Amino acid sequence: MSEFILMADAGCDLSAEFQEKYDIKVINGHLVLPGKGDVPTFMKWEDVSREQFYTELKKNPNDYATAPPNITEYENAFESYVKDGKDVICVTISSAISGALGFATTARKNILEKYPNAKITLVDSMRFGPGFGLMLVHASILRSDGKSFEEVAEYLEQNKNRFHQAGWLDDLSFVAKKGRITHPKAFFGQLAGIKPIGEFDAGGLTTVLGKAKGAKAAYAVLLKYIEATIENPEDQYIFIAQTSRFPQAEQYKKMIEEKFHPKAVYINDVFPFCGINIGPGLMAAYYMGKPISEDLSEERALIEKFIAEAK
Amino acid sequence: MSTRRINGILLEKMIENGLAFLQQHEGEVNRLNVFPVPDGDTGTNMALTLGNGTRYAKSSEDCGAYLRSLSDGMLLGARGNSGVILSQFFKGFAVEMTRSPLIGPGELRNGLIRGYRTAYEAVVHPVEGTILSVTREGIEHIRTQITRNSSIESILSMYIAEMRKTLSYTPEMLSVLKEAGVVDSGAYGFILIVEGMLKCLYGEVIIPKEQNAHPQSGLVDLSLFNENSEFTDGYCTEFILQRLNHSRYQQEFSKNDFISELRFFGNSIAVVVDGMRVKVHIHTLYPSKVIAFAQQYGEFLTFKMENMQVQHNEHDRDLNQKKEHKPLAIISVVNGEGMKELFQNFGCDIVIDGGTTMNTSSAEFLEAIEQLDAEEIVILPNNPNIILAANQAVELSKRKNITVIESKSVAQGYFAMAMDIPDSDDAKFRVSQMQSGIDNIATVSQTVASRNYSFHEISCRKGDEIALLDGEIVSVGSDFAKTIADTLSVVPDIDDKETCVIFRGKDVPADREEALYELLSARYPLMDFEFIDGGQEIYHWIVGLA
Repeated sequence: MSEFILMADAGCDLSAEFQEKYDIKVINGHLVLPGKGDVPTFMKWEDVSREQFYTELKKNPNDYATAPPNITEYENAFESYVKDGKDVICVTISSAISGALGFATTARKNILEKYPNAKITLVDSMRFGPGFGLMLVHASILRSDGKSFEEVAEYLEQNKNRFHQAGWLDDLSFVAKKGRITHPKAFFGQLAGIKPIGEFDAGGLTTVLGKAKGAKAAYAVLLKYIEATIENPEDQYIFIAQTSRFPQAEQYKKMIEEKFHPKAVYINDVFPFCGINIGPGLMAAYYMGKPISEDLSEERALIEKFIAEAK
Repeated sequence: MSTRRINGILLEKMIENGLAFLQQHEGEVNRLNVFPVPDGDTGTNMALTLGNGTRYAKSSEDCGAYLRSLSDGMLLGARGNSGVILSQFFKGFAVEMTRSPLIGPGELRNGLIRGYRTAYEAVVHPVEGTILSVTREGIEHIRTQITRNSSIESILSMYIAEMRKTLSYTPEMLSVLKEAGVVDSGAYGFILIVEGMLKCLYGEVIIPKEQNAHPQSGLVDLSLFNENSEFTDGYCTEFILQRLNHSRYQQEFSKNDFISELRFFGNSIAVVVDGMRVKVHIHTLYPSKVIAFAQQYGEFLTFKMENMQVQHNEHDRDLNQKKEHKPLAIISVVNGEGMKELFQNFGCDIVIDGGTTMNTSSAEFLEAIEQLDAEEIVILPNNPNIILAANQAVELSKRKNITVIESKSVAQGYFAMAMDIPDSDDAKFRVSQMQSGIDNIATVSQTVASRNYSFHEISCRKGDEIALLDGEIVSVGSDFAKTIADTLSVVPDIDDKETCVIFRGKDVPADREEALYELLSARYPLMDFEFIDGGQEIYHWIVGLA
């Protein structure tokens, strides 16, 4: 078994259990929470429940903020492994929405000056949340299968655009405010009952491909979309992320299990590091499939077709 | 007295008398409202429509020419369904008269037939028991009795009598009328117009109500004419001259000579002579010369003069103010500040304030269309009564790329906007997304009854809380929230509904939302609720269910 380290930031949204199972080293970022100031990212609901957190966030979104690990924190994290001769693949949250990659790049340069023989490879996941986490799980499985440092790094670079998101974000006010979605519109936050269906794009963000009226119509479109884009579902772990949409996620999980018979479907949380930027409206599945087209034209055509059929 | 032929000038007087008679009874027509909601505006809409026609019409001895300009003005100014139907009637009438400088019995008969047929064609789903039935039966029942020797008076008298008969049957034809205990307001309004026309022939002139200027024209921006302006357009000059018998004034008056004299001073000349009164319209660079000339014959009863350069410059400015070029632009009609803001935030390019009764005219739609520079245009009327006006504007605009999404309430308009995907560069897809937004949306509206009312098993007293589902009263009570909840319960597929968007009206305290939310969320625990400060008038609450 290869000995290298897979490192990620809190943007991967892997629970403690998954971090342990797949041996992913997560480096904390920063949260600014009302009344608490700057605190490290956490990936367990301990002091606050998911519902409480998102209810409060919805009320006062401007009192919350996030920041990636800084250069020193990356340096310290890298150093803790390279000093023992361990190689590191560090995967970062999409550079389109966070400065993590930039900080990690500087930290890597500094560490390589100090440890000229160290091997640190940085990969921009171009994803965030469980889409990013799923990528790490795949990398970890390859590592367990005996693939080398180079092979895993190469795999990540070559295949990151095959990690799909099929879901909705029905409260786009957060991403609009943070400028974390392409072409945001201020009104996105008020779309009661409308499910904007988004997919990862080549720029490392998500783009709304279509809208379904109501959850039922949205499930129908999403299942068809997964069917059209997924590859070998029976060999896959599928993640479902939800910020504050647990009942819908459970329903979605059941549908996906019945239709695609994957190895397992896990409902993941979106923890505050991503959640503060996404808001409470995310409910999406993440899986591996066909490469996503550069301009999303193929994906858009599929969604348009399925929305028309759902009427 | 019997008139065998009428020319354009007499016809104009008749129609102006018809308008004045309708205006006298405007409130009465408005009150013939099926629902106890104070938004009845049929009389106002018909008067505004015909009024726009008479304002726009060019006096002419030729009936065909006069009617053409009248009907153009009506088509543009049509308000509400009744206004659109009225304008279509006159359009048909005008088309039939194209080559008729004079109207005799045969022409009148054919015009009245062509009029109602054109009106029927304009309505997608003609409803009997309305202005349509009245205009059809009115002429069809008497057409065989009209001969070469019939006088215009006798034809109009028979026509009115038949229409009144049909009017009295409208409650039998349309059950909503019967239950509300009213006759059809549009039909009644139409009869009033014809009665006014007939009165004119009998010499009974009705003093017209002082008309407001076209509401859209607003105030002229005088800053557009300043020290650097060029003056080439002259003054639009209009006056009524009262010829006087005093020897100081020239007593010999020939209309033709008067007109040929005026030609020295300007153009766009129209002169109408009514006994000793002369109505003059002329565009001139030298109004003083016109005044001096006219004053030889008498003194001015009224005088109006406008600098046309200002209007011209304003027009140029408006043209220059065309909105930026867009692949798709959206026009919507709403009432209320909150609604206006909401639709603007949604990305509507033009939000027309429909006023309390939301009776936007074709001209207003057309004006909005003209302001836009877009490859595709979508119109959301958000009210069943102006869908026809919107469609008429599309036809008049001659542009091929306009879609009227027939939203019947702001709730439907809301969902249409919400389904738009502004990011997409596929305009057709966006339109189809928006179109799908209005499918299966139930609209519940809630207010207080403005009068006592009875319909089927529903009856209410003035002041009761009432709630309507898609325009029909469903629930009456003393608790507003309960009337809404009870109305929701009769929505056919209520169990399939997932979302409830609630617009709070103007002057409704915000804390009432809580009571409403508590009641509704207890009854429909799986539904998502969203409250929006709509600020609309008339309806305290508008609820959209998707």
